[in-house]
Amino acid sequence: MRQKRSRLWQFWLPADLENKGTATMGERQKFLCGNAVSKGIAIAKAYRYEPLDLKVSKSKCDKEETEAECRRFQSAREQAKEELQTLYAALEEEHPDQAKIFVAHQEVLEDEEMTEETENVIKEDCLTAESAVDTIFNQYADLLKQVEDPLIAGRAADLLDVKARVLRLLLGKEEKRLDHFAEDVIVVAHDLLPSDTANLDRDHVKGLITEVGGSNSHCAILARSFSLPAILGAEDAMTQIQDGQDLILDGLSGQIWLDFSQEEKEQYEQKRQLWKKQIEEEQTYLLRPGATKDEVKIALGINVGSDAYDTAGAAYDFIGLFRTEFLYMENDHMPTEEEQFSVYRRILEGAKGKPVTLRTLDIGGDKTLPYFSLPKEDNPFLGERALRLCFSHMEIFETQMRAALRASVYGNLQIMFPMVGSMEDIRRAKEAVRKVMDALKQEGIAYDPKVKIGVMIEVPSLALQADLVAQEVDFASIGSNDLTQYVCAADRMNAAMEPYYQTYAPAMVRLLGFVFESFQKANKPISVCGEMAGNPKGAALLVGLGARKLSMNAAMLAAVKAELARHRIDELEKMAKTCQKLCTEKEIKEQMEM
Amino acid sequence: MVTKQVVFINKTGLHARPASDFVMLAKKYESKITICKEGGEPVNAKSVVRLLAEGIGQGTKAELAAEGPDEAEAIEALAVLVASGFGE
Repeated sequence: MRQKRSRLWQFWLPADLENKGTATMGERQKFLCGNAVSKGIAIAKAYRYEPLDLKVSKSKCDKEETEAECRRFQSAREQAKEELQTLYAALEEEHPDQAKIFVAHQEVLEDEEMTEETENVIKEDCLTAESAVDTIFNQYADLLKQVEDPLIAGRAADLLDVKARVLRLLLGKEEKRLDHFAEDVIVVAHDLLPSDTANLDRDHVKGLITEVGGSNSHCAILARSFSLPAILGAEDAMTQIQDGQDLILDGLSGQIWLDFSQEEKEQYEQKRQLWKKQIEEEQTYLLRPGATKDEVKIALGINVGSDAYDTAGAAYDFIGLFRTEFLYMENDHMPTEEEQFSVYRRILEGAKGKPVTLRTLDIGGDKTLPYFSLPKEDNPFLGERALRLCFSHMEIFETQMRAALRASVYGNLQIMFPMVGSMEDIRRAKEAVRKVMDALKQEGIAYDPKVKIGVMIEVPSLALQADLVAQEVDFASIGSNDLTQYVCAADRMNAAMEPYYQTYAPAMVRLLGFVFESFQKANKPISVCGEMAGNPKGAALLVGLGARKLSMNAAMLAAVKAELARHRIDELEKMAKTCQKLCTEKEIKEQMEM
Repeated sequence: MVTKQVVFINKTGLHARPASDFVMLAKKYESKITICKEGGEPVNAKSVVRLLAEGIGQGTKAELAAEGPDEAEAIEALAVLVASGFGE
């Protein structure tokens, strides 16, 4: 397999461009590096987006002017309200979550007490409208920052955003906008806020570069949903990049080219075309069934949240991961049984008979609920997460089970528990489900008694007894992200731990092989639903190790299908076997041609 | 002036949506309305930012007070909203 470098992936890093890092050419830096959070290549002029200078210069006015200053304040407030209404209306339909931000901003603007106090300081202290707004908004933002609840403290940012809007209107400055360009640009900024990107000109903005932000930031999510190449966390981008300068944004490698020859530019233009072609070619695979070149069938599933998803039914075989925590996280209260039931029912009906694996509440660790305070822990990832949390709050678990079981009559439901570490955990969870089933039966409420019960394999203690686990459950799914984190003892949220967080560590490859083998012997279904399954090369390795079911973000289906169709099963098996004997992740990745 | 003791029974207390609902209702009345957390200072019930800053959680006791032409109706309506648990 090594010799047969796969045709489509090899151009990712042309040999002559590889590993140049932050090479310098003379005085000027040639490259900047950052996190490639949204793939693709963009070649265009830089547009530096800088927040306006809203420094308030004149702070005092004469007593006679205070009436006029109050009127200026009121008129700026009215204009701000109109702007917010326009922003809200533009987003309301397609991006309701982003639109909500502007409702919160309107509430701040209409705050009676803040308005009164602003007018008071103008009248009594003879402040100009600008300096009054500056003073009062800062005061209230500080007030919120002191609240212990992080969600409330976070709303201080809303106040500052509204303050900037009112000040800009008072100072009579044009709003810097990204909604209309005459030519193609790559937007370069320190950071991009929701209000900055709300009306992005999608015809002309070809890429995004910011100095801060990770792959889960607002900006990253936006870039991916618009299929816009983006590099975030590129330090010094604002110092190094001039307005109007030609740039190459390589969102495949995370490199930004500041200085390049015509020849290099042409090379990149070719690379861009190839990438475009690859995406188009992959798309042709989307509706085909997943299989290797020699027709070994691989069932491919999708991971979904509470939201509606719009993947064509023919593109996937099952929903391998229905994350229910979004239902809890996007709410301001614990979702009731009825609220959960209606969402579960909708997802099950939408799947039209395809299996839907509902993962029970998975919070704790990096995910928290604003309205439900979790105990402070030194090591939340090793603490009361997911199933463990459900065990100590049985009422939450039971409500979810009732809603899920009631919905089970509307489709093909499977229930899966996250963060399972032992056989006791499995038995206890199954017992809880049985209890809920009994209660429903007594109440005469319908449910599917044959609902399959399974577990996530993401804790090493469970993975290492996969042979025994396979006897106890109907199915299992490997959560490769958490499994990697726990096998390598490296926090996946900590950027400094990246070199230690090795998805393809020899221990992982061996452990995965053992888990697949154990479940196959027991004749029980086993799938993978972590990032690894959605990485084309990772998926190929998993199939070589024995996986026949993979579940991923719908956006990766076509690429994974295309990659699998390139290899025969014996090639993949041979490659996987070799990987299991290698000593380092680097060697394994080389073997995988990553 | 009319006053009334209330207890926030809903899970989230006076956060996010409940705070917005509370302010929206308070603004329908002309009277000056305040809310005073047990052991705290009264704050303007028509200011969403003030209410948020109070950090009123589940189980918090507070006193509502209104003064003005529609003080009785205002207190009654707000007390009902709080007692309903904001529909949670």
